[in-house]
Amino acid sequence: MDVARTEENIRLPDEVAQEVAEGRLQTEQMVLNVGPQHPATHGVFRLLATIDGEVLVDAEPVIGYMHRGYEKLVEARDYRQITNLVSRMDWLSGINNEMPLALAVETLMELEVPPRAQYLRVVLLEMNRILNHLMFFASFAAELGAITPTFYAFREREDIQAAMEMATGGRMHFGYMRPGGLKEDVPKGFFDQALFGVRQVMDRIDDYYNLIIGNEIYKQRTIGVGVLDKELAYNYGVSGPIARGSNIDFDVRKDEPYLAYADFDFEVPVGLNGDCFDRFWVLLHEVYESARIVEQAIEGMPSGPILGKVPRVIQAPEGEVYVRCENPLGELGMYLVSDGDRRPYRLKIRTPSYNNVSVLPVVLRNTFVSDMIAILGSFFFVLGDIDR
Amino acid sequence: MPVTERVVGQQALDRVTAELGSLVGDARVNFDQIDVTCTPGNLVEVVAKLREAAGIEARFFTFLSAVDRTAFGGEERPDTERGTPLEVLVHLYSPDHATHINIHVPVDQADPRCPSITSVFGGALWAERECAEMFGIDFTDHPNLTNLYLPEDFEGNPLRKAFKLPTRMVKPWPGAKDPEEAAGGGRG
Repeated sequence: MDVARTEENIRLPDEVAQEVAEGRLQTEQMVLNVGPQHPATHGVFRLLATIDGEVLVDAEPVIGYMHRGYEKLVEARDYRQITNLVSRMDWLSGINNEMPLALAVETLMELEVPPRAQYLRVVLLEMNRILNHLMFFASFAAELGAITPTFYAFREREDIQAAMEMATGGRMHFGYMRPGGLKEDVPKGFFDQALFGVRQVMDRIDDYYNLIIGNEIYKQRTIGVGVLDKELAYNYGVSGPIARGSNIDFDVRKDEPYLAYADFDFEVPVGLNGDCFDRFWVLLHEVYESARIVEQAIEGMPSGPILGKVPRVIQAPEGEVYVRCENPLGELGMYLVSDGDRRPYRLKIRTPSYNNVSVLPVVLRNTFVSDMIAILGSFFFVLGDIDR
Repeated sequence: MPVTERVVGQQALDRVTAELGSLVGDARVNFDQIDVTCTPGNLVEVVAKLREAAGIEARFFTFLSAVDRTAFGGEERPDTERGTPLEVLVHLYSPDHATHINIHVPVDQADPRCPSITSVFGGALWAERECAEMFGIDFTDHPNLTNLYLPEDFEGNPLRKAFKLPTRMVKPWPGAKDPEEAAGGGRG
């Protein structure tokens, strides 16, 4: 083979050269199917990506592989049963899912929730938030090629998970909330275990921060990648850490304090540019803030009953109300229409991941294929939460 | 920016009615949130105004769905106070003022149509597709009104009250016997 480099052997074929000269050289678009079983999708999620060379021209998420029809199922179940059903929507934050349902029923029935129940709820909600965030801390790093954070995150998760298990008996689906309070009081030793778990996370979160945020490769892969514009976020109803990454100071716990959140001192971390870096930065900082809330709530834990004066049969009176909570992934809202029965007449469930993911086609447009996984990972979604 | 000026209850109602005037019919306060009723023809203008109006700025698209009230209270109700039992429901939120606005849009039950609000809120793209397949509502001028969840050949609109859950037809609702006998069998 002739390896001498001459003008002749590096020249383009004539017809191609002519196309280039006339500006007619066209690239061909192709459709790349990502999923539905791709590991970066946290469930069964399919992305139809139209690519032109290295550039994503268009991306259409295909959802619905896990659609279970909750909004229909709840109409044939009473509120006790629905608590356990909605717990399974976002499997990483079970107890958070149960919260708006209990709040909606309490609002319609005008139930009084004892202070101890409110504080205990906050403890459990925030511990669940830490569990969820540590999970995404692990998975986002893993998607960018760093496997070590997974082991750290799961080590820390375990102690908090153990505390949750002591109280509720469950590790994922808790079924612990009741309209009017909680199923039962926490067992002896729960507070020690919970404090041990969250203090451990507080001690170590700085190390994780330095391990990932300071890493040059990590910065290169995330800064300026997948920018979500502020107005776009509002327009699609994007909430939670994703919205806060886009410089939106929006947190239901601060804006419309429910339960006892007004009693605690915590910050709402807000990013600057709305890129992958900022979203993950917000997520990591929220772990610390949640741990602070748990500490404060346990220190100020009131004594007393954990269930208010609740009738034996929960029957929400006629009326309708929209109630929302700050879930780990964003605003989880429930629009409850009741006609006075023991079942909801209609329960619209507005899940955070649904709105957050619906903005993906716009964010992914004109990004590089190599950034796609980083962007998908930084949107922190759970498929069960989208499909319901 | 967190909530700069909290506008809820009667104050929010005053601002909304002053802004919308005759575009909306009934307007009231419900648990500190605003409930307004408007016709399908006015919907796009109403959401656009609520988004832009100074002092309201409901820029956050919370959700769009529908409610079928035909079996409300356990009896067949061809008419409700809003005229027709089927309504599109849009919820907007103002991040600056913490104002919640529920927009009820009664649509014809036999031939439900509603203009798409995707030109104002991009978040409605999926919500309207879901609402269309679940309730059989035609969102005119939606750019791509295909099924979001259901297979293309699925028959019926699952969230309409006329669509019965097969399990509830073969087996009565277990809750009716527990904890004590209650009137009424399965619904939905």
